[in-house]
Amino acid sequence: MRIITGVLAIALATLTVVSCKDNAKEHDNEDGHHTEMKNDNPDMNHNNSDGHNDKDNDSSFNTGDIDASIQKNPATTPIIDAYILIKNGLVADSKNDAANGGKALLIAFSNFDMSKLSGETNKEYMEIYENAKEQAEHIVKSPIDHQREHFEILSTDIIDLIALIGTEKTLYKDFCPMANNNKGAYWLSEVKEIKNPYFGAKMMKCGSIKKQIN
Amino acid sequence: MKLVKKIALILLVAFVGIQFIPTKHNQSNIVQASDFMVVYNIPEQIETQLKVSCYDCHSNNTEYPWYNKIQPAAWIMEGHIKKGKEELNFNEFGDYSIRRQKSKLKSIISQIRDDEMPISSYAFMHGDAKLSESKKLELENWLTNLRDSL
Repeated sequence: MRIITGVLAIALATLTVVSCKDNAKEHDNEDGHHTEMKNDNPDMNHNNSDGHNDKDNDSSFNTGDIDASIQKNPATTPIIDAYILIKNGLVADSKNDAANGGKALLIAFSNFDMSKLSGETNKEYMEIYENAKEQAEHIVKSPIDHQREHFEILSTDIIDLIALIGTEKTLYKDFCPMANNNKGAYWLSEVKEIKNPYFGAKMMKCGSIKKQIN
Repeated sequence: MKLVKKIALILLVAFVGIQFIPTKHNQSNIVQASDFMVVYNIPEQIETQLKVSCYDCHSNNTEYPWYNKIQPAAWIMEGHIKKGKEELNFNEFGDYSIRRQKSKLKSIISQIRDDEMPISSYAFMHGDAKLSESKKLELENWLTNLRDSL
């Protein structure tokens, strides 16, 4: 009897340790820190008319030229529309809307016909696609602060995608110097008015238009 | 008392029984050419820290603790390793496109900064894997510099 009780105790102890582990993990996920909030310094010198910093950022930004001479290509429209859904979800501080946009983006990518892309373009497209897909998957399942981090990477991908194969949509390439831990980050918008997806209601107007596409 | 005995016996049989169910071992002695440590020139203390804190779940080689011999601990570990490698495998880092490497580095940095990695249950069982504030900062700075250089 003693032995049985002893083994039973070990078994129970194992199970308890195990369930503690799981609880701790779940707690971890729910209790996500808000990276942006830590850097939300109201004294931050944030002047949109000061183009110096932004220019520096622009030149280090690895996209190539994006301007009105971009290829007129309707093939990217579903991808961009889905990206805009994510963007507007984040502008509205809505995790669910952003997640739904992520789902739409995964569908748009899977429907994209890449058979028309030639060798080098195809290779670059695949790199962008693989990276963007991963970001979209995380946007579907993550809390909003993580969605915003992945959205920053995704924005680079979509901007590069447009530089690569074009769009016929009119878009604005906006920049917020405070996003991405004060390193600054771009995003694309379908409207001229600045509506910041990296901060939402906390700093809706932060940012400026850097380029217009079409 | 009879009932208690019966339940204890059933639990005992179940506990012993699950010990015979095998788990897949994540172990390999091959150092791949695509390994993060091979592709990039990494200072020794950073290398050691990454190996201790990350490589158990994010590479093809896990240093198993003693309790991996006991079910269901081994199952749970197997699940963590599978998920960890899907998300990021340091052994294959060099095979990722530069675009993907940059995204991975960004995610690694933010996971460390936000105390989400290493996961708390793992850090609880592996004291040396836990990152102090100064170690976090050291990793963050080094990884950020690497990311900016790509």
